[in-house]
Amino acid sequence: MAQDIVIQTRNLTKIYRDFWGRKKVKALNSLSMEVKKGEVFGLLGPNGSGKTTTLKLLLGLLFPTEGEVTILGKPATDVTKNEHIGYLPEESYLYRFLNAEETLDFYGKLFDIPANVRRDRAKKLIERVGLTKARRRQLKEYSKGMTRRIGLAQALINEPDLILLDEPTSGLDPIGSRDMKDLIVELKKEGKTVVMCSHLLADVQDVCDRIAILEGGELKVFGKVQELLKDTGVTQIKTSRLTDAAVKDVRDVLARHGAQVMEVDHPTANLEELFIKTVRDSAAHPGQRFVPSDKS
Amino acid sequence: MRLSFDPVAFDLVQGLATWLGVMVVLSIVAFITSLLISLATSGFSGPPQVVMHLFQAFIDLIGTSPRRCWAMTQLTFREAMRKKTMAVFALFALLFLFAGWFMSDVTADADLQVKTYVSFVLRAVSWLIPMMALLLSCWGLPEDIKARSLHTVVTKPVRRHEIVIGRVMGYIGISSLVLGVVSVVGWFWISRQLPDTMQKQMTARVPHYGSLSFISSEGKEEAQGINTGDENMYRSFIEGNTKARAIWTFTNIDPGKFSAAHPFVLESSFDAFRTYKGKIDRQLLCQYTLVNPKKNIRVTLNAFEINEYRRNTYDVVEKNPSLEDNETHKAVELKDLLADGELRVEAACRSSSQFLGMAKSDLFIRMPDRSFASSYFKCILNIFLMMVMVVVLGVAAGCFLKGPVATILSLVINGVGFFAYTFVHSLVTGEVDYHNPNVKFQGAGPFGALYRIVTHTTPGIAFEDTMFFKVINKLDEASLNVLWAVSKVFPNLEAFDTTEYTANAFDVPWDAGILPCLATTVGYCIPWLLVGYFSLSLRELESK
Repeated sequence: MAQDIVIQTRNLTKIYRDFWGRKKVKALNSLSMEVKKGEVFGLLGPNGSGKTTTLKLLLGLLFPTEGEVTILGKPATDVTKNEHIGYLPEESYLYRFLNAEETLDFYGKLFDIPANVRRDRAKKLIERVGLTKARRRQLKEYSKGMTRRIGLAQALINEPDLILLDEPTSGLDPIGSRDMKDLIVELKKEGKTVVMCSHLLADVQDVCDRIAILEGGELKVFGKVQELLKDTGVTQIKTSRLTDAAVKDVRDVLARHGAQVMEVDHPTANLEELFIKTVRDSAAHPGQRFVPSDKS
Repeated sequence: MRLSFDPVAFDLVQGLATWLGVMVVLSIVAFITSLLISLATSGFSGPPQVVMHLFQAFIDLIGTSPRRCWAMTQLTFREAMRKKTMAVFALFALLFLFAGWFMSDVTADADLQVKTYVSFVLRAVSWLIPMMALLLSCWGLPEDIKARSLHTVVTKPVRRHEIVIGRVMGYIGISSLVLGVVSVVGWFWISRQLPDTMQKQMTARVPHYGSLSFISSEGKEEAQGINTGDENMYRSFIEGNTKARAIWTFTNIDPGKFSAAHPFVLESSFDAFRTYKGKIDRQLLCQYTLVNPKKNIRVTLNAFEINEYRRNTYDVVEKNPSLEDNETHKAVELKDLLADGELRVEAACRSSSQFLGMAKSDLFIRMPDRSFASSYFKCILNIFLMMVMVVVLGVAAGCFLKGPVATILSLVINGVGFFAYTFVHSLVTGEVDYHNPNVKFQGAGPFGALYRIVTHTTPGIAFEDTMFFKVINKLDEASLNVLWAVSKVFPNLEAFDTTEYTANAFDVPWDAGILPCLATTVGYCIPWLLVGYFSLSLRELESK
C-alpha cells in the first residue's frame, strides 16, 4: 500500500444474517475505495445506503462477509491501529454518569496517556469544544449538541492521525454546525485525515476534498468534489455592483458573442450565514431587539 | 455446638489433577466444535482462522495494559456508585435494626444464642452480597452493548479481555466494599446483641481431630458402631457397660502446645439413646482411656456424666490429679502419654443398656483457642471468594447473552451450586453419601436405569454377566463420565458456606475450610474468563 493511502478497501461486502444464518440484507456490496492522507473524505448516501456499515467495518465493530479492509496499513481487527484513530459515533455513545472531565480522563487512560498529559489535553479540548462551564456536569444533563461536542472531544483525546466522524453535524445548531466544519478544516490544516459520513450535502460540500456516494450498498460516484460539481456548460462572472446601464452593456457584449444570459441578479446570503450573523451581533450588542413596524 | 460433618482436608494435588482433566476435556471439545463450526460457515478458510484467533488471544494476553484494566475498573466502580448501588446498605440496615426483636431470647443457652446471632449475620451476608454481585455483573456489559457505550471503548486500543478483567475487578471492588462494611457492622451487631455474660462464648475453638474406629459389644473391630434406627448414619452408637468402644487415634500432637495456661482438654459432644428412662436427674456416664500405643501405656480416667447433645469439656489433669498405668499401676505423666505425638482415646459408655452416639468430629483435643474475629472473618473471606466466582460467571455470561438471560443462567448455575451440588454430584457419581464415596447407588446410569424402567427391574437386583449388560454398563460408564465433566460447570458453593464452623465457635480450618474454596475459585474463574474473552472477541458488537 502506498504511503499516502490511509484507508483501503477491496471488494468489501457485508451481509447481515439472522440467528439461523439466513441472509437478511446485503448492506454493502463489493466496495473498493481508497482514502488518502491529509484529505477530508465524505461518504454520502441516503439512509440505509451503507455509510455507517462501512465506517463500522473500518473500525472492526463489524466483520466483513467478503473482501478486505486495511486502515493505517493494518487489518481492521487489529486493535493497535486504534491508537492513531479518533471516532465520533452517530449518536455520542458515552457513559452518561460521567462528567466531561471524567469522560476525557477515562478515554485518555484507554490510550495509556500519562496523567499530566491527559489533564492538559482534556482542559484544552473542553475549551476547544466550548464546554468549560459545563465540564463538571454529568453527561445525562447535557443537551444533544453538548453531547456531540464532548463526543468530538473524546475522539481527539489521543491527537489522532485519522478521524472518523459519523454524521458530525447531526443534532448541532447552526453555530455548532459551523464550528464543527471549521474544526474539520483546522484538522485538515494540521495534516490529519478526516472521513465523515453524512446525508447533509451542504456540510459535505463545504469541507470535503473527495466524496463517495453510496446507494443500496453500492458505490455510485467517487471523486473530487470540485470536479464532480463543476458545470462546464455555464460561465459565471462575479463583479462589484454594476449600474443598470453597465448591465445593459454587458448583455449586449455577451449577445454579440452568441451567449445566452440566463440570470443577472444580486447574490443572496444563505440562511446559515444570516443566522450566525444575527446570533453573533446579538452577543456583541446585548439588549438590542427587533421591533416590528406597523408596515411589517 | 458441634459440627454435622467431618472436616476433610482438601487434597490440592488431587484437586489440581481433576481440574486439569476437566480443562483438557472441555478444551478439546471446544476446539473441535470451533473447527467444525468454522468449516461449516467459512469453508476451508475457517479452521486457519480458529488457529489465528488462538494465536491472537496469546498476543492479547501479552499486551495486557494494567492502566486500561484499571480504567475499566474505575469506570465500573463509579458507575455502580452513581447508579445508587449503595442502596443495598439500607436493606442490611433494616435487617440489623429489626432482627434483634425476633431473635432475642434471654432464656436460651448462651452457646445457642451466639449460634443464632452468628448464623443469622453470616447467612444474611452470604445470601445478599452474592445476589447483589450477580445482578450487577450480569447487567453491566449487556447494558453497555445495548446503549452502545462499549463502541466508543472498543474503538480505542483496548483489548477485549481488558474489558472483561476491568469489569470483573470493578464489580469485585464494589461488592467487596459492601461486604466489608456489612461484615464489620454485623460483627458489632453480634457483640452488641449479646449480654456480657455470653461474650465469652464468642471464641474460635481449634480442634485437633483423630480418626475414629469402633469395637463392638462382642469385642470385634468395626468401622462403625450400632445404628439405633436413624436414617442418617453420620453418628453411630456404642452400648453401655459392654466391650463396645469408640476409639479415636490422634497423630501429630505437639505436647509443647499444652501448659498450665492451656491445659490438655478433650472436648466432646455425644448423642444419647436410652432404651429405658433411667434416673431422670442423671445423664449418661462416659469414661475415657488414654493409650500410648508405642510405649504400651494405658490410663483409664475418671468417668464423667455427659451433657447429652451438648459440649463436654474434660480437662484431663484437673479431673485426674494422679494418672497411673492400668497394668503396672505406676504413676504416669501426661507428657509420657503424648511423648510420641500419638495418642489413642477409647470412649466407653458406663450406663448399662444405654447407648452413646458419636462421629469423628464429636471428640477432639482442644488446642489453644483463636479469637472469634479470626473465625468470623475467615467465613467472610469465603463469602468474598464465592462473590468473586459469581461476578466472574456473571460478567462472562454478559459477554454473550443479554442481561435477563445472563441473569437466569447465572442464577441457575449458582443456585444449583449453592443448593444442590451434593445432589448433582450423587447423580453423576452414584455416591449416596458425599463424605463416603464407597456407598453407591445400585444401577446408576441412564442406560441401565432405562432398561430397569422398561423391564420393571428394581435397582437392588444386579445385572447378569452377559454381553448385553456389559454393553449397557459400558454405555453407562461413558455417559456418566461425560455427565461428571458437565457437572463441573456447577461450582461447589456449598463448600463456601463455613458458617457452621463460626456459629459453633470453631475456627475455620485452612485445609478443610479455606483452601478448597480458594482452589475452587481459581479453578472455576480461569475457564469462565476465557469464555468471556472469546465471546466478546468473536462477537460483532453491531450485529443486527
